[in-house]
Amino acid sequence: MAYLKGGIHQNTLSGSGQGTLSDYEDMVDENTILVQRTLRSGQSIRYGGNVVILGDVNPGAEVTATGNIIVMGALRGVVHAGANGDEKAVIMAFRLQPTQLRIANHITRPPDNEKVDPELPELARIRDGVVTIEAFQTGGERQGKPV
Amino acid sequence: MGEIIVITSGKGGVGKTTTTANIGTGLAAMGHKVALVDTDIGLRNLDVVLGLENRIVYDLVDVTSGNCRLRQALIRDKKLEGLHLLPAAQTKDKTAINPEQMRQLCSDLKKEFDYIIIDCPAGIEQGFRNAIAGAEKAIVVTTPEVSAVRDADRIIGLLEAVELREPKLIINRIRPKMVRQGDMMSIEDIIDILAVDLLGVIPEDEMIVITTNRGESVVLDQNSRSGQAYRNIVRRLTGEEVPVLNFDENEGFFKKLKKMIGIK
Repeated sequence: MAYLKGGIHQNTLSGSGQGTLSDYEDMVDENTILVQRTLRSGQSIRYGGNVVILGDVNPGAEVTATGNIIVMGALRGVVHAGANGDEKAVIMAFRLQPTQLRIANHITRPPDNEKVDPELPELARIRDGVVTIEAFQTGGERQGKPV
Repeated sequence: MGEIIVITSGKGGVGKTTTTANIGTGLAAMGHKVALVDTDIGLRNLDVVLGLENRIVYDLVDVTSGNCRLRQALIRDKKLEGLHLLPAAQTKDKTAINPEQMRQLCSDLKKEFDYIIIDCPAGIEQGFRNAIAGAEKAIVVTTPEVSAVRDADRIIGLLEAVELREPKLIINRIRPKMVRQGDMMSIEDIIDILAVDLLGVIPEDEMIVITTNRGESVVLDQNSRSGQAYRNIVRRLTGEEVPVLNFDENEGFFKKLKKMIGIK
């Protein structure tokens, strides 16, 4: 089901348009906010839903969301997706270099003395009970079921 | 029962956080159980200097407001068993805690640690008042600049007003060569104005920048001048052989420095 969340907007639109919201309940996303700036140290966002950031999240900044977190920039701060315990929540960033990643009640941090400098967008999610980071792939499985 | 020491300066950028990190690390390296408390809420740095930023889950404000237990918020150092950090919150401000909560926190920490070192924010407002609330001793850090010494003097006055008497002084970033040429205030000049006990003098040293940026502490670096200076301070703090107010020792130290510079 985590995949379906990748196509959130599409699913929501068609779902509600046909008036069969209940059929797709788990495919319909919560609220989403768009943050059109860079979050600097000391700034934080808490939101009951998904958060999309058009900018960077700098070290010392915090984003907490009950849903997914997408950073269209460099993620260097602390983010917490699925803050109410949703283990299906994902974190995606163009450059995933977080101080700390939290999904539901899992907390991870990058290994010490290892500088990560990803060149591709990456996705963090819980797989088999551990937070895993993978390259962000469009297409294929991410398309979700046809609506 | 532990000893609670606040490290303060009034002016910013004189080396409070660096001094806190190095004294704490030095004490822990000697086998003491040390808790470092960052009270600079909103502008925390001690975690970064110690290289522990990515381990923070709970902070000082979480503890004082009862969101978590003290033990949960304390972060153990990567290398030193006895060194612990209680980080400040970054997304809140100085009004998130009050002096009474700090006093309670300090008395809780005192039961478990030999030394509690409190890193004070710059300024003399509420952040300063919170930081000094639970302290039993104070260390004032200054640099050989008129502005820093002026602020240190103000701070010493404020400390005395709350019965934190006889604060100890650390003079940071001194350049012996400039002092010799008369271009920088000397240790004597500063002591003359402030009239407090000298705990130690740290020479300007690029190793401080190098180690700080790596999240390490210069006090563990056996080869650097500043590391030696911090180790002396730590020994004086524990009441060891090096007497606290031993000016001769500092002069000797600077003679050694002069020699080193002379060789260059």
